[in-house]
Amino acid sequence: MEDYKFIGKPAVRIDGKEKISGAARFVDDLDFGPGLLFAAIVESPHAHALIKNIDYAEALKLSGVVKIVTGKDFPFKFGLYMHDRYIFAQDRVRFIGEQVAAVIARDAATALEGAKLVKVQYSVLPAVLDAQGALEKETVLLHPDLGGYKHVPWFFPKAGTNIAHLRKVRKGDVDKAFSSADYVFEDTYSVPRYAHCALEVHGAVGLYDNSGRLTVWTASQSPHTQRHLFAEALAPLGLSHKDIRVITPFVGGGFGGKAGVSMEILGAALATAVKGRPVKILWSRAQEFYNTYQRQGLVARIKAGFKKDGTLLALDNTLYWDAGAYVEYGANVVNAAGLSASGPYNIPNVRIDSYCVYTNLPPGGPYRGFGYSEFLFGLESHLNEIAKKMGIDPVELRRKNAIREGDILNYGGKMNASGLLEAIDKVAQEIEWGKKVPSRDPNIATGKGFALFWKAPAMPPNAGSSAFLKFNEDGSLNILISGMEIGQGLLTVIAQIAAEVLTVPVENIRVETPDTDRNPYEWQTVASHLTWGCGKAVERAAIDARDQIFDLIERALNRKREALYLEDACVKSRSDGSFSLPLRDFVIAGIPMEDGTYRGGPIIGRGMFMPEFASAASDPETSQGGKPNVHYTVGASAVTVEIDRQTGKLRIPKVVLAVDVGRAINPDLIKGQITGGILQGIATVLYEDMRFDEKGRLINANFADYKIPTSVDIPDEVVPIIIEIPQKDGPYGARGMGEHTMIPVAPMIANAVEDALGIRIKSMPITAEKIALRLLEGKK
Amino acid sequence: MKREINFVLNGERVSMEVRGNEILLEVLREKLGLKSPKCGCDKGDCGTCTVMINGKTVRSCLVLAAEIDKCDVLTLEGLMQGGLTPLQKSFLEHNSFQCGFCTPGVILSATELLRKNPRPDKTEIQEALSGNLCRCTGYSPIIEAIRDFSK
Amino acid sequence: MAITQEFVYLKPASLKETLALLAQHDNFAILAGGTDLIDMIKEGAVQPDVVVDIKGLASLSEIRFKGSTLDIGAGVTFTDLIESEIIKEKFPVIAECARTVGSLGIRNRATLAGNICSGVPCTDSGPVLCAYEALVLTEGPKGARKIKAEDWFIAPRKTALEKGEIVVGVRIPYPKKRHSGCWVKLRRYGGQDLAQVNLLVLAFEDGTFRISYGAVAPVPVRAKKIERMLNGQKPTPDLLEKVTRLVEEEIKPITDIRATGEYRMHLAKVMLARGVEAAMGRLDGKGPEYGKSVI
Repeated sequence: MEDYKFIGKPAVRIDGKEKISGAARFVDDLDFGPGLLFAAIVESPHAHALIKNIDYAEALKLSGVVKIVTGKDFPFKFGLYMHDRYIFAQDRVRFIGEQVAAVIARDAATALEGAKLVKVQYSVLPAVLDAQGALEKETVLLHPDLGGYKHVPWFFPKAGTNIAHLRKVRKGDVDKAFSSADYVFEDTYSVPRYAHCALEVHGAVGLYDNSGRLTVWTASQSPHTQRHLFAEALAPLGLSHKDIRVITPFVGGGFGGKAGVSMEILGAALATAVKGRPVKILWSRAQEFYNTYQRQGLVARIKAGFKKDGTLLALDNTLYWDAGAYVEYGANVVNAAGLSASGPYNIPNVRIDSYCVYTNLPPGGPYRGFGYSEFLFGLESHLNEIAKKMGIDPVELRRKNAIREGDILNYGGKMNASGLLEAIDKVAQEIEWGKKVPSRDPNIATGKGFALFWKAPAMPPNAGSSAFLKFNEDGSLNILISGMEIGQGLLTVIAQIAAEVLTVPVENIRVETPDTDRNPYEWQTVASHLTWGCGKAVERAAIDARDQIFDLIERALNRKREALYLEDACVKSRSDGSFSLPLRDFVIAGIPMEDGTYRGGPIIGRGMFMPEFASAASDPETSQGGKPNVHYTVGASAVTVEIDRQTGKLRIPKVVLAVDVGRAINPDLIKGQITGGILQGIATVLYEDMRFDEKGRLINANFADYKIPTSVDIPDEVVPIIIEIPQKDGPYGARGMGEHTMIPVAPMIANAVEDALGIRIKSMPITAEKIALRLLEGKK
Repeated sequence: MKREINFVLNGERVSMEVRGNEILLEVLREKLGLKSPKCGCDKGDCGTCTVMINGKTVRSCLVLAAEIDKCDVLTLEGLMQGGLTPLQKSFLEHNSFQCGFCTPGVILSATELLRKNPRPDKTEIQEALSGNLCRCTGYSPIIEAIRDFSK
Repeated sequence: MAITQEFVYLKPASLKETLALLAQHDNFAILAGGTDLIDMIKEGAVQPDVVVDIKGLASLSEIRFKGSTLDIGAGVTFTDLIESEIIKEKFPVIAECARTVGSLGIRNRATLAGNICSGVPCTDSGPVLCAYEALVLTEGPKGARKIKAEDWFIAPRKTALEKGEIVVGVRIPYPKKRHSGCWVKLRRYGGQDLAQVNLLVLAFEDGTFRISYGAVAPVPVRAKKIERMLNGQKPTPDLLEKVTRLVEEEIKPITDIRATGEYRMHLAKVMLARGVEAAMGRLDGKGPEYGKSVI
C-alpha cells in the first residue's frame, strides 16, 4: 500500500479545540437577541383520533402569548421519499405526541403555559400498535389517501391497506431449492423500537424576515435536504429554494435521527407566522424520545435451506416492519433492508418480502444501520442455530458461504471487492475462536459469539456531493462542503484528503459547518457515505486547484507542467531542484511579472461527485435489474461474554471488530467509530428497552428508565481491526464506514449467550432479567 | 419576587437579581452568556449541565440560581482561562470526544476527580464519570486520556 | 425547561428561623440537595409557594460520632458520607451504600435526609436506617421528636413527618458488638439508577444478623423472620437454601417499569445469600473489599 503524508496518518481533529474548550456552538447556544420568541407544542394524547375542534381562545389571552397556529394554518404535506406527513396534524392524529398546534410566546415558560390552555376535542379511533395488527385490522386504515401520495418511483404502496411499501426480492427459485435441500430451518425473531439518544436534542430557530427571506438554524445532518423539504412544503406560501437558507452549526450527535426533516419543519413554518421575529423551538428530552424518528421494530420470519456440507442454498426472509404513523423516511429503511436482508452471503435462491406497515406509534426513520442491525439480529442468530443443528462450526459455516467479489447480489448486481474473508480470519484469530474460555467461578458461564455484517449506503441514485476550496493569503485553505460534522470527524478527514493533494498541512485547513447560501450541495450526511462521496468531491476540488496552480506556473514562469509537483505547500520541479515557490506567495496575489503585471489571481477549486452508475429502477416484483447500492462495506465481529447464572448479568471481557474501509484515511477516527458503534450496539441488546403502554404511549421517555450505557458499562477490551481492500472510486481507495460497527453486535451477543448457557433468545433486548428468568424457567 | 445574589463566577465577582424559580443552568446560559453547560435532559440524568459549585460538580439543571449566593461557581470557560489545561490537551491527543456535546461536563467531572485523586485507576475514573452520558465515543478514549494524563 | 410554578425562595440562617417559617407557611418545600425536589417542581408534581433552603444551617451539615451514636445532619450529602473518615472506619457499609446512589454530581448535593424524606420504596437510605435501627430526628412546633426508622416509612412517598416539622438528622446507634456489613443494590446497569432491589446485611460477631430490604415492598422491610432463622446458626448451604425460601414471606415485590416481581423475588434471594456470605467474610477479615459489588 502506498504511503502518504497525511492519508492514513493521525491528525489532531480540526474541530478539536472548539469542542474541548466548550467553544463549539450548537443550535441552542446561538443567540438571537431579546426579540427571540419561543414555541411550545400542543400534542395529541391519543394514538389515533379525529380532531373535532381546537379552541385556543383562552391561551391567546395569556400575557406574553403572541400567536397560535394549528394544522389549518399549514395544510401542507412534506416528506423525503414520500409525502405522507403534515407540519401539524390535519383532520386526525396518528400517534401520541403528534403536534396539533403551537403556541408562540415571548418566553419559553409562557409558551408552555399557553400550550396547556389549548383545548382540543378528539373523537378517538381504534389504534393499531403493531405491524401484525395493522395488517389484520384492515378496517383501521391509518392513511386512507395512501393511493394518492407522491413518492419516489421505487416505492410500492398498497392503497386501501396499511402497507406503505412492499419491497420484493426474487432471485432464483426458492421453493425448488427448499425441496431439494438437506436441511430446512425456520424461525421468527423480533426486534423492538429504539431511540437514538443523541445527547443534543432536536431544535430549530426560524426567521422569516421582512424581506421575505426565510432562514432556519437547525441541528441537522442535512442542511440542503432540509432546505429542499422546506421549499417543497412551503411552496404554497410563495417560497422557493432561493428564498430559504439553512444554517447548521455543530451537531451534538445524529446517528440518523437528525437526518431528513422531522420537527425542524416547525421552525420553518412557525417563522412564517411571526414575520420579522426569530422563533425557537427546542424539543424536551421526552419529546426527543417520542416525537423524533425512532428505529423501527421488526418481526422477521426466516427460513433457510442448506446442503449437508453447509452450503446455503436458499433463504426466505419475510420482514414485518412496525414503521409508525408516517413513513416518509422510514419506508426507505424497509426498502434498503429488503434489498440486503440476505446478509453478506452468496445465496443462489433468495426470496425477501419487506413490508413497511403503518402503525399508530411514532414515525420510524433513519437510525445508524438503516434496517441492517434489525434484520441481522435474526439472520445471524438463525445461522448460528443452523450451524449448531448441523454440527458445523458457526464460523466455518459463514466462511463457506461468505460473499465474494463478483458474486451475484440479491437484485442482480455484482458484489464489489471486499475483505470479508480476511475479516473473518482475523477476527476468529483475535478472539481465539474454538478455544473455550475457562470460567473462574462455577456460577459464571463463559461463551463466545460471532457475526458478520455488511451494509451499503441507502441513497437515491443521484445523491450528489460538491465542494469549493479557496486559498488564503497565508497559504491556508478553506474548504466549503455541506457535509456535516456530527462527531464522526468528517471535517478532519476532508482536510486530510485536501492536505494530501495540495500538501498544505491539516492544521492550516479550515472546514466550517455549512450554510446553504455559501456551501455547495451535499445530499445528506447519512449512509456512511461522506468519506467516499464528499471526500471524492473534495479530492476533485483539490486536484482542480492543483491543476490551476500548475497551469499558472507553466504559463507564467515557463516551466514544464509535467515536471511540477507540490511538496510542503510549495510548487517544485523535478527538472530544477532549486525551484520552490511557496503557495502563499501567489494563491491570492498572483505571480508578478517583470513588467509589473501579474498572472493568475485567487485560486479556487471546485469538485463534484455523483455516482452515475446507480439506479433504483428495477422489476417491482423481483427487484432484479437494479443497481440501487453503490457498494457494500463488510466486516466481522466477535465477542466473549461472562454471564452470572443467577443474576443473568452479562459482562464483556473482549470485543473484536474488523471492517474493510478500503483505505483508512484516519485510523484513529475509524477506531472511534468502532468503539462508539460497538457500545451503541451493546446498549440495544443489553440495556435499552422501549416500553409503550396499551394505549400507545411511550412510558419511559427519559434517561431514568431508558438506559444508555455509562462509562461503567463498557467492555473490558475492544480490539479494532482495519482491513483495506481499496474502493476504486473512492478518494485514495476509501469506502465509508460509521454505521457498520453497530450492526453485528446484537446477534453476536445473542450467539454468545447461546454458547454460554445453551439458551437461544430470539427477541431483543436480552436483558439480565430476561436471561435470569429464562434460566429459572429452564430449571423448573 | 426577585432576590439579589452575589457570587464568584469563573473568578469574577457577579451581582445580579434572580427570581426564586430560575434555574442555574438557564441563568448561566441565557443571562450570563456561558454556553458550555448544556441542557441534555433537564432531569439530572445526563450530566451535560455539569458545573462546579465550591469545587464540587453539580447538575446545574437541578439547582436554583438563588442557591449560588455566596458561592464559587466554575464552568469550563473558567477552568481554562490560562489556555488549554493539560487535561484538555490529553483529550485532544486521545480523541476523547466526537460530537463534543458531553465534553464540558466530562472535563469538569474529570477535573474534580483528579483534584481529589491525582492517580485514579480505571475503576475510579469510570465511577467518577458514570453520571456523564456519552453516546459517541464508547468512553474508552476518555478514560485513556485521563489515565495517560495522570500517570 | 423553565419552572412555571412561581414561588418565594427563602434561606433561613438558624433552625429557629426555619421552624418559624414552616409555621407561617402552609405550602412549602424544604430544599437541601434539590436533586429530587427541583425535578418534581419542574414536572408539576410538587407546587410549593415557598421553598426553604436549609443549606444555611451549618449545624445540620455535620457528621458527629459521639462514642455510641453517629449523628448525620440533614444537610449531609452522600459525598460527605463517602469521604467521612469516621464512616470509613466505623460504618464502612454506609459508604458502600452511598457510593451507589446517583452519580458523582448528584451525590455532591443529594442528602441522606432528603432521600428518606422522599419516602420512595426504593430509597437506598431506607434499608441502611432500618438495619441499623436508626432514629430520625425532627424538630417542629411540638418540639424535638425521635422516630424509629421502622416507624418512619409509612407508605410510598409518605413518612411520619408532621406538619411544620423538619428532619434535622439521623441518629445511628453504634452497635455494641463488632459488625460488618454488605450493601447490595440491583440496578439495570452500572450507572446512575434507582434500585430494582436493594439490601443491607449486617453480620455481628455474636453470629446474629440484621437484614433489611428496599424496593420490594411499599416501605423498607426488616427481614426479621430471616434473621431469626440465621441468628447463631452456622450458615451451611442447607440453611441458606431454607432461608432464601423465607424471602417469599418477607417481601412483596411488584412489577413496574424497572423490573418484574418475579425477577425481583429471584434476585432478592440471590442477593441475600451473597450478602450474608460477604458480610460474614468481612467480619473475618476476608470477604470482598467494601465497594466491590457481589452481584
